[in-house]
Amino acid sequence: MPDLIDSSENVSVHGIFNWILLLFIFSVITAVGNFLGYHHPIEGSLIGMAILSFITLIGVWLERYVPLDISSILYISVIGIIVAFPGMPTSEFVLKYVSQIELLAIVTVFLAYVGIGMGKSWDEFKALGWRAIVITVLVIAATYYGAAIVAHIVLVLTGVPAV
Amino acid sequence: MEWIIIPDKKPDTHVEHIYREKTDKRILKRNPWRDVRLHGTVLVLVIIAELIGTIKIPITKDVAITIMPLIYTIILGLAFYLIKPIKWIHRKQARIAEGAMMLFIGVLIAKLAISSGQSIGLIFEMGPALILQEIGHLATILVLPIALLLGFKKEAIGMTNSIGREPNVAVVVDKYGFNSPESRGVFAIFIIGTVIGTIFISFLVTFSLSFLPLHPYAFAMASGVGSASMNAAAIGPTLAAFPGMETQIEAFAGFSNLLSFCVGIYIVIFIALPLTERVYDWLEPKIGRDSIMPEKEDDNNA
Repeated sequence: MPDLIDSSENVSVHGIFNWILLLFIFSVITAVGNFLGYHHPIEGSLIGMAILSFITLIGVWLERYVPLDISSILYISVIGIIVAFPGMPTSEFVLKYVSQIELLAIVTVFLAYVGIGMGKSWDEFKALGWRAIVITVLVIAATYYGAAIVAHIVLVLTGVPAV
Repeated sequence: MEWIIIPDKKPDTHVEHIYREKTDKRILKRNPWRDVRLHGTVLVLVIIAELIGTIKIPITKDVAITIMPLIYTIILGLAFYLIKPIKWIHRKQARIAEGAMMLFIGVLIAKLAISSGQSIGLIFEMGPALILQEIGHLATILVLPIALLLGFKKEAIGMTNSIGREPNVAVVVDKYGFNSPESRGVFAIFIIGTVIGTIFISFLVTFSLSFLPLHPYAFAMASGVGSASMNAAAIGPTLAAFPGMETQIEAFAGFSNLLSFCVGIYIVIFIALPLTERVYDWLEPKIGRDSIMPEKEDDNNA
């Protein structure tokens, strides 16, 4: 793959063009899944996905153009929270369409890419041995339970009813 | 992230995960949208997965295991890459998938953020729980003694200070250096987490929902472990277990993942890593075994 080891290439219009097309493909696949799995109409899903894609695009663009070391995840989160904020003029429109997209429909498509992408790490994974696998599994479980139990205790102490 | 210097010798390929620039180049140069094989395969996988739908396997009267479409797509995706007869998914497709995935995380985050924005009042109300549960992630250090008993040495510090995703890898490499045992440890967790983490956490959550009588919000907050794909896999069963609470669960899960991402990294730097080192210095002389790690990290499977 010598063609992609190039010294430097900055984000160009070409790059943004690629992002848009990738997001478009992702949106179409998600809309199909959203229709098959959750029976939401394709048109509404596509508008909702367009909104989410647009926010993503602004986020990744800001990450690369603003000379601060801030991740796109942060930009995207802040934009998403603001446009859906109750009382914002955008919130009604955004919620109307984005609520038609099931999170699980997005996750299902996203994890298909994750699955194919992680195949690449398979050989390294096999080389690591069972001991490291045991530790990884325990670490993930510890993170999850640590957070769940602390959250539960705080919720009970602050008297949040278990809906 | 230019401060991670690529060493002169050819770096292990897995390190490339943490280079945003490389992902960029992959996306920019390859016309990744043109890869019909990859996107076509994903479309087929999604159609298969959604048509099968959610399967519930009852174990006892009250306990059922839920297997959701997201599990089918991730396992089928991996299988398509690994199974030889399938000729059209190669390393190239995997690289594009990996690069594209970095972009698609944004869509997922945007959806979660919109749920958070919608429920912003509720999030402020639950602020104490949301912030304190980040401290709960320190529980990974409890695994350190087991790592020592299994024969890891300084690797254990890298392995058990956090869940070992991209930001944690960056912190450990920055502090101990690229070729240190600590970095080897965190790389190991990173790679294994990449391959089995998502599938594992999805089953872990499914089981926990059946057996642990915790608050629904606690499950939602806990799913924000600081990795978008694991977050996604953990939310699935949680949403299914508490119908009618989608917006709240998404709001808490998304916001907690955001906290893990921006606050969690400082908890690792200022609390988790120093604490892991202390515990290591204290426990290693007591329960440490002969190192099972060879000088070069090629085979520790002895």
